[in-house]
Amino acid sequence: MKITLSIPTINDRPDDFDMLFSLWSQINSDSLDVTFDFSRCGFLRHNAVAFLGGLAHLIESRSGNATFNWNTLQNNILTNLGQNGFLAAFKHGGGPWTGNSIPYREDKILDKNSMMDYLKVKWLGRGWVHVSELLQNAIAGRVWEIYTNAFEHAKSPIGVFSCGQHYPRRKELQLTVVDFGVGIPSNVRLFFRDDPRAESLSAANCLKWAFQRGTTTKPNGTGRGMGLDLLKEFVKVNKGKLEIFSHKGYAMVDEKQEIFMNRETSFEGTLINITLICDESYYRLASEAGEELIF
Amino acid sequence: MKLNVYELIGENCLTMGDGQKVYDLIHPELSADRFVELDFTKVGVFASPFFNVAIGQLLRDIKSEDLNRLLKVSNMTSAGLAVLRRVIENSKRYYSDEKTRKAVDEILLEKVENL
Repeated sequence: MKITLSIPTINDRPDDFDMLFSLWSQINSDSLDVTFDFSRCGFLRHNAVAFLGGLAHLIESRSGNATFNWNTLQNNILTNLGQNGFLAAFKHGGGPWTGNSIPYREDKILDKNSMMDYLKVKWLGRGWVHVSELLQNAIAGRVWEIYTNAFEHAKSPIGVFSCGQHYPRRKELQLTVVDFGVGIPSNVRLFFRDDPRAESLSAANCLKWAFQRGTTTKPNGTGRGMGLDLLKEFVKVNKGKLEIFSHKGYAMVDEKQEIFMNRETSFEGTLINITLICDESYYRLASEAGEELIF
Repeated sequence: MKLNVYELIGENCLTMGDGQKVYDLIHPELSADRFVELDFTKVGVFASPFFNVAIGQLLRDIKSEDLNRLLKVSNMTSAGLAVLRRVIENSKRYYSDEKTRKAVDEILLEKVENL
């Protein structure tokens, strides 16, 4: 069956995510022939870039065909997609090249050295975050937790997709990581499957559970579920922001608040958007003594 | 025994697989009541999956007081130590005993129902 997905302007407000999830819901069957049309699109934020890349691969993984109608893109968006490497990833022109974009990335497996290069060099090492190597390593370690969660828990058949952007005026660095796996609520309900109450847990409550210290859905507790908790603590201390969309659940954590809610639209995978302020004065690491007993 | 973690793993201690390599080397030594020093010189990036497996799971069958006596962690960055402390705190609670583990899982479900 042939479908044309009309891509509108997509920013990063809640209704923009609704739009992305609506696009996802339109391609949920096998053997589709999908054309992405950008005639109505005036801007694509990095979250949309990561999501659309994943969407194209999802279509192809279901024996379908995804075609980007590049001719319908405005020149400024085309340039941005060249700069962040999206065009090259879909065999349309060169790139990426250096700019405010943090390159579009597709990972089918979690390669720690390649990922560290991306985080430390292309995301944090571009001179726009003036922080020590020590702090750069700390940030890379925390963001790694996002990827490791995606690969350990999501069971995404097509891997994980990322894209980021530096916003000089807002002094922000943002990174979106999206997988098309089973989603956090599904894992939480599965973990509690022996209990009849599990099925009725709302997506928002499942996300809240996942953020609590020491929770994990991994069997035998080997994972121990530190990732989201550490990440939450880090963005709160450093005045950043962390957003998660999974199924109908939405979580937002910043310095002042933690919000967990159910939304109208649903996305079966997990989309994480992290914002860090690129001003070194905002960052601090807890000082650590070295000699006391650690166990 | 002194183990140079950089030589074994490299500058990024992130994955459960890397953690298992460390665990496999140090667990027999510690179980035999022999001293182990883990030297993290030149290791830059740390994440919880590595620590959960390399160190957290030691608490499954070795007591805290014995680990304090037998295992020395040296030359770790403050960021790494912060993650390690959290992992140890978490693992101690989890591995304390089977009864606690089941109770924790039950309480968690009750809590999540009431969130």
